[in-house]
Amino acid sequence: MRATECDGGERTAQALDGVRVVEFSSAMAGPWIGRLMAHCGADVIRVESKKHPDVVRLYVPPRAPEMGTQPQLSPWFTDWNAGKRFVALDLSRPKAVELAKRLVGTCDVVIENYSAGVMEKLGLGYAALKQIKPDIIMLSTSGYGDSGPYRRYVTWGPNIEALAGLATLSGFPERECTMTQYAYPDVLSALHGLVAVMCALLHRSRTARGQYVNVSQYEATVAAFGHVLLEYLGNGREPRRPGTRSLHAAPHGCYRCKGEDAWCAITVSTDDEWKRFCAVAGRPQWRHDPGFATRAARLANADDLDKRIEEWTVERPAYDVMIALQEAGIAAGVVQNVEDQLRRDRQLAARGFFEKVPHLVKGEVIAAGIPLGLTGTPGRSGRAGAAVGQDNDAVFGELLGMSRQEIQDCIEAGAIETADGPHPTSIDRSKESSK
Amino acid sequence: MDAADDGALSRRRVLELADEKGVYCGKLLADMGADVIKIERPGGDATRSIPPFWQDQPDQSLFFLYMNTSKRGLTLDITHPEGQVLFKKLARTADVIIETFPPGHLDALGLGYDTLHEANRRLVLTSITGFGQTGPRRGFASSDLVSSALGGAPYVTGVEEDPPVTLAGSQAHVAAALFAAVSSLIALYRSAVSGEGQHVDISVEEAIVSATHICGVGKWLDDGIIPRRRGTGLFASVPSGAYPCKDGLVYLMVNRPLHWKALAQWISEVTGNREVLNPTFEGPSSNRQPYRDLLDIYVCDLTSRLTVGEAYHEGQRRHLAFTPVNTAAAVAEDAHLAARGYFVDVEHPGNAMLRYPGAPYRHAETAWKIARHAPAVGEHNEEIYGRELGMTHETLRALAEDGVI
Repeated sequence: MRATECDGGERTAQALDGVRVVEFSSAMAGPWIGRLMAHCGADVIRVESKKHPDVVRLYVPPRAPEMGTQPQLSPWFTDWNAGKRFVALDLSRPKAVELAKRLVGTCDVVIENYSAGVMEKLGLGYAALKQIKPDIIMLSTSGYGDSGPYRRYVTWGPNIEALAGLATLSGFPERECTMTQYAYPDVLSALHGLVAVMCALLHRSRTARGQYVNVSQYEATVAAFGHVLLEYLGNGREPRRPGTRSLHAAPHGCYRCKGEDAWCAITVSTDDEWKRFCAVAGRPQWRHDPGFATRAARLANADDLDKRIEEWTVERPAYDVMIALQEAGIAAGVVQNVEDQLRRDRQLAARGFFEKVPHLVKGEVIAAGIPLGLTGTPGRSGRAGAAVGQDNDAVFGELLGMSRQEIQDCIEAGAIETADGPHPTSIDRSKESSK
Repeated sequence: MDAADDGALSRRRVLELADEKGVYCGKLLADMGADVIKIERPGGDATRSIPPFWQDQPDQSLFFLYMNTSKRGLTLDITHPEGQVLFKKLARTADVIIETFPPGHLDALGLGYDTLHEANRRLVLTSITGFGQTGPRRGFASSDLVSSALGGAPYVTGVEEDPPVTLAGSQAHVAAALFAAVSSLIALYRSAVSGEGQHVDISVEEAIVSATHICGVGKWLDDGIIPRRRGTGLFASVPSGAYPCKDGLVYLMVNRPLHWKALAQWISEVTGNREVLNPTFEGPSSNRQPYRDLLDIYVCDLTSRLTVGEAYHEGQRRHLAFTPVNTAAAVAEDAHLAARGYFVDVEHPGNAMLRYPGAPYRHAETAWKIARHAPAVGEHNEEIYGRELGMTHETLRALAEDGVI
């Protein structure tokens, strides 16, 4: 059964209907690409092995650690793998590699982000796969790319934030290293990777030719802030860290509001906006104060400006500051956390941004939406919480046309790993506390 | 196949009427061979004034130069009735239009999706706004910082005791433009199959909520802990973070049990610490969470005896995820990027060369390429209006006088 049919409803046409992808992937950088494609209707088949469990399969429920490892319950498993189909192969067996190749033979795209050289060693490198399917599109992602002196180095997303210079170039001047909590390079390499795949698919539809595509997370990350690096490349100057300031607009920053860790971001671009800001803040005298009247003056006096503005904002709830300024046409926004986003943000709620995703074990989970905005062919997440090898029968039986006996022989030979075993597909709900 | 045909997006036409929210989308398509025509108001776009500037030349914004590689430049006032006629003419030849006007602006000018789609059924119109085309807050004023704030990024960036902070380089707008490129290409792919284009509705706020999902709603509903800025380590990975070396900072991340074992071994070898080998610390990161601060001290004890280079390369030799915390200079001079030929030199008028960051992906057949430097204001007016649309010099002069182009 196609993953996207699990919701039981009428299927409307989706943008990537008819596209089939096979993934040899782990963590986020590779899998998130497949998630987005599945969301748009592609049939994405993920090859896994219980012998080499992906990091998301090693999840221990934080509020019930006595449950031990739960391979289907990780929220990141949902985020990165909802809507896919899952098969389990032990790729150290030649028979399994043969099955993997047959799978590739039915696909348009292969996505892999295993360690450097692993796919080649398994006999699943591009040259081998091109023999099976001459027009195959293969995307291979890793930290440093497939060439160069450090191509075998081990990295995770946050490593790349540091390596690519983002951590040094961002943040307040007195902080040597500013990191995000969201592994931004994984987002960048996945999105750039999907741009790359779509370009290859478009090229193929014109020419019937596939190709190999390599993504280096390091390079994809630098590309996203190349304009910042240009100050060094073009002017020989190490860029100064901006904090939340702007070189061409003031006020511009996050201002403390009433309450614990409450902030409102405010940006004023023109002198007209500044006049309206002064009115909202009840500080008409600032309009004519030579220290603040023009943009140049405000930029020069930013420290003083920010201090005085905060004297106003710190007395008020952040949402009040936002609404008051927005009513005057000034860009202002509460610095929201996840609870704010889910419970207080009216815009996200009205647009149905958070998605209720069907979950094989939990029934339903709430996940961040996929903001591709395809209004003509809206995306939709298929089921989450599948087990390793969940779709063995459907994929090997229906898609590859293997008989029950053939599949059984492969299981006995250890090539196909069974879906059952120490990883149950349901749990005792009386023990579940994370709702 | 001639040179104009060898890009993945060759012979696809894109019209771009975009500010900071959309320029990176156009760049991605242009550098893959699409004919991206950047349409600016007469006199040039405000983004040409974004500092800093190349060698302090006020018409050479480094942001503009970077974001508009490979594009052609046209001037056009679409608020003028004659401008609207010209725009519709161009729109009929376009595969994709990227725009960042406030919701309803193009509709009010008679240039909305329904009108354009009627004349060109396969057209993909990609609109990027702070908060989307619909909803109670679609009229909110936006900026990179404000959209990013509502989207949740600054709350989880930086260190605990500091105010919230964002990444450098308008990353909310870059991320939204990247989503827009993905969607535009998916919609383009679909329109070839179905014959129908569509309106793509990108919200910068939503792009950021999605981009921050690893420390988002899923995690919070699962463990009840609101993710917050917490220094340089990642909440779920222990140990992780920036650690001091003799000559700078190195970044380390441990996720897998095997990596912890290798790290503990190395710490013990270099510092003589035996406690670090305690089996209590073994296994997944969740086992090490209660001891995070202690383990950070152990790691510091190791790294502070080494240079960044030693920690980096010896660490990697032991298959540990160590990377240097690089400056812009270090990135520009990185041996690995040099070996990969990552940076590209682009010629500018007056024989000036500027080195640019290169391809975010490498296609074996349809390589990324900077076809030309960013256009000057109206640089291709003659080429497009004159040669391609067949308009006479007199017509163009009159339109310029009237401020239409």
